Amino acid sequence: MSLKNMNDQLLLDLDREADDDRDLDATLAEARRRFEKALVRERRPIARVGVIDSPVGRLFVADGPRGILAIHFMDGKGPEPLETMRGKFDIVEDQAAADRIGEEIRRFVAGDRNALKHEVDLSLVESDFKRRALTKLCKVPLGSVVTYQGLASAVGAPDGQRAIGNAMGSNPIPIYVPCHRVIKSDLSIGNYGGGVPRKLKLLRAEGFAVGKDLRMPAHAVMGHQRTHIYCRPNCSAAQRADMGRVYIFADPERAQRAGLRACKICHPV
Amino acid sequence: MRRHDREIMRFLMRMTRDRDDALDLFQETFLRAYRAYPQLDSEDGLRPWLFKIAANLCRNRARDRARHSRVIAPEADAEMLDGVAPHYSNHADRAAPAAALDLRRAIAGLPGKQGQAFVMRKIVGLEYAEIGAALGCSEESARAGVYQALRKLKELR
Repeated sequence: MSLKNMNDQLLLDLDREADDDRDLDATLAEARRRFEKALVRERRPIARVGVIDSPVGRLFVADGPRGILAIHFMDGKGPEPLETMRGKFDIVEDQAAADRIGEEIRRFVAGDRNALKHEVDLSLVESDFKRRALTKLCKVPLGSVVTYQGLASAVGAPDGQRAIGNAMGSNPIPIYVPCHRVIKSDLSIGNYGGGVPRKLKLLRAEGFAVGKDLRMPAHAVMGHQRTHIYCRPNCSAAQRADMGRVYIFADPERAQRAGLRACKICHPV
Repeated sequence: MRRHDREIMRFLMRMTRDRDDALDLFQETFLRAYRAYPQLDSEDGLRPWLFKIAANLCRNRARDRARHSRVIAPEADAEMLDGVAPHYSNHADRAAPAAALDLRRAIAGLPGKQGQAFVMRKIVGLEYAEIGAALGCSEESARAGVYQALRKLKELR
């Protein structure tokens, strides 16, 4: 056989080889079946993600099997959650799931206090300290705020207000985990990952009317969780209080609604 | 990933010439890909990346088999070096005509990267750039590998 013929024959055989799928289909079907079976053991939980337009701006939201995993202000400074999520979850785009969360946020900002029904899942939080701080924060009742220092005391680190600031800054689920309810110890409004205007909007939606000077409402009172008494901020009893157990309510009425009674020293009515 | 599973299976069948081995390696390839998928930079690199995993697994398997055969049956070495591993079943080969069988044996006998590059190019139909990415070499050396493999096949026939 000449060299050219040999070449042609080889190329012809190769073509035939490439087309030869006699066993391939059956083997592939078997392989897919085995792989699906093996995958069941490997599969990670699913995170349903989507982008929504809300009254507080464009949000990236992620909903997991145990609750909301992440809400991210797309123009804000907060941590980018998608990369962190990839390691732990299988990410699926699901606009309907995102819209359900969006609807709750819309109603919440419009003033419906009971709109936020979804559970939260803090599994994207990196450290135990931050998780403790955020869990504690979830207990701060609607219509009240807490100071960074107060929250630090509440998690057992009385000097850890900066660490609390960091924990709030890396809160993966703002709005649902209400880091907008944390203010500075001088009772000024402090900062917010999504920007101060959003913090004000959320606080006002909860009935905590912060003035234009970004300070507390004139009738704000300090509510002591242990004694169930509320005082004016300048009351001598308030000065002595354990800040970890103090919430600041927008007005006496809200404090009373939370089951507290007025202080008999400063008469905050 | 489903888009590429057919060609991965075709690659594995030609590299292993054994249905059970191909099934095992297929599962291992896609499980590894599934685990490492979050680290993949872009979808564009998916095809060569899958082939890289499959090729590495084939290499590991060949190495393990060689080691195993050295321990179990030293006399089988010569046959292994000829590129024919006669001691395991060739289900896929049973139905093939003699000429095709020769060609398959010859392909399986090609040295490591050359054989892989050859199958990726001539049987599966990958681009040279993709082969380079899959085998961790340049596009030119992938092309050279395929050329050398072709030359060897011609010499054998």
